[in-house]
Amino acid sequence: MSGSITKDEFARMITGAAAMIRARHAALSALDCVAGDGDHGATMLRVAQQLEKAFAPGGEEDLRACLREAGWSVLGVDGGASSSLFGIFFGGMADAPADAGATGASQLAAMFEAGLATVRKQTKAQPGDKTMMDALVPAIAALRAAADAGKGVKESLYDAAAAARTGTEGTRHLTARYGRARLLGEKTRGHEDPGAASMSLIFEGFYDGFGESKGESGNA
Amino acid sequence: MRMKKFINKPENVVLELLEGLALSHPDKIRLAGSNLVARAVPKAKGKVGVVTLGGSGHEPGLSGFVGEGMLDVSVAGEIFAAPGAPRCLEAIRMAEYGAGVLFIVLNHAGDVLSANITMDMARREGLNVKMTLTHEDIAGGPNPEDRRGLVGFLPVFKVAGAAAEEGRPLEACFEIAERMGRNMRTLAVAVRTATHPSTGQPIFELGDDEMEIGMGQHGEAGTGRMMLKTANETAEIVLDMLLKDLDVKAGEELLVIVNGAGATTLMELFLLFRHVHQILQARGVKLIRSAVDEFITTQEQAGFQLMIARMDAELIRLWDAPSNAPYFVVR
Repeated sequence: MSGSITKDEFARMITGAAAMIRARHAALSALDCVAGDGDHGATMLRVAQQLEKAFAPGGEEDLRACLREAGWSVLGVDGGASSSLFGIFFGGMADAPADAGATGASQLAAMFEAGLATVRKQTKAQPGDKTMMDALVPAIAALRAAADAGKGVKESLYDAAAAARTGTEGTRHLTARYGRARLLGEKTRGHEDPGAASMSLIFEGFYDGFGESKGESGNA
Repeated sequence: MRMKKFINKPENVVLELLEGLALSHPDKIRLAGSNLVARAVPKAKGKVGVVTLGGSGHEPGLSGFVGEGMLDVSVAGEIFAAPGAPRCLEAIRMAEYGAGVLFIVLNHAGDVLSANITMDMARREGLNVKMTLTHEDIAGGPNPEDRRGLVGFLPVFKVAGAAAEEGRPLEACFEIAERMGRNMRTLAVAVRTATHPSTGQPIFELGDDEMEIGMGQHGEAGTGRMMLKTANETAEIVLDMLLKDLDVKAGEELLVIVNGAGATTLMELFLLFRHVHQILQARGVKLIRSAVDEFITTQEQAGFQLMIARMDAELIRLWDAPSNAPYFVVR
């Protein structure tokens, strides 16, 4: 029997991610002042709000429909490159086949991989370029490795969040090569990339959110 | 320091500025759909629609160029941030009069990302859209992908808009926009920073006695920071780089635009233009058309953009064609 992630489980992850963004949005804006115009935290607050809305009780019951709805409304945040990338990431997760994973963790990994594939269609940025990819790519690789090793959803999300955090910390030592920040070159060294920092907060929030209440998925 | 701007609430600035813009030219433009700036009187059926997108805070760019002879719909984003794909898609549907839509995009990461996502969705819906990218800022280096779209959007809107108005097919409008784009070059100079209207933060730092050549639309740092120079010296440095990059030869015909960044006076812009004119004359290059004004600004940033473009007979004719866009009237 194939594993599955329920809408309610994913909604808990979203709630955790939104709480994390709300707690840290001022720090995200401060990071964005280094090479951007200091509004990244405000953009991410609006992204978090749209994500929560798409997964709110009383909405769509189907997980994929919720993801599509979330992706579309995050694109509508009008927050420049960040909200566009988060929008296609969540929207793209809906493209994963419903039976792609044998366990909850491998199903989740397949969903994130589908989201990443959608993002890759729109940006050539790779890990090392000081973008959100520095958090996203290792997070998903860690999630996949954990799922393949037979770990449960909660443990796999823990690995993903840890990898995202390590990736984000690594952006401190990099110079920006993409987006508006690339024009500042060396000046960006010494600070974390705000996009990577947001992505890593989201994964930490996923872990926190999934861990609350019932814990492991019954199917895992 | 407290931000000295006439603002009600930072979060309402974009909507309020768009409302003010539309209300000040009710015979020409209106707000439609999700705060899209559209023509008050839609274009006739069977003609190509022309659409653009871009962040706000750069007024009158880009929405001030919606009007007969130029744009059909402009999608304004938040301050200095590209609008998302859903509103761009809505604008493209609105500008479809049966002959397809030309989507003009200035090369900035967020704008291009939104535009590419929009194009994906438009293709899925079977909409007939062609996208043209403007990237004429030579500060970006030799690779066109790295060159930002600056005030060169103006001639592209103008000639492509005029071609669309004449009833030329989408393929022709696209080719004209691309030809205009290939033949133009811009370089920006900044002397003083601006404050972000939402955060109140300065968008870059520059010493009191310095100027920076190659400054981007949002105060992204350029490469040539130096002591402030006179109008003539500055015009000469910048024009020289542009002429070399475009490989302009004696006898060729140029359009020249001097665009003020927001706080640089028209007085200064005229001084700069005067010397550009003198240099071109001395080199035997024909300055056949010109525009000196604020077309795209960055709040109270001080500085200017100088654009030169090589023109052919058709581009000149389209540049001269009528337009009633509020910030570029040609009779």
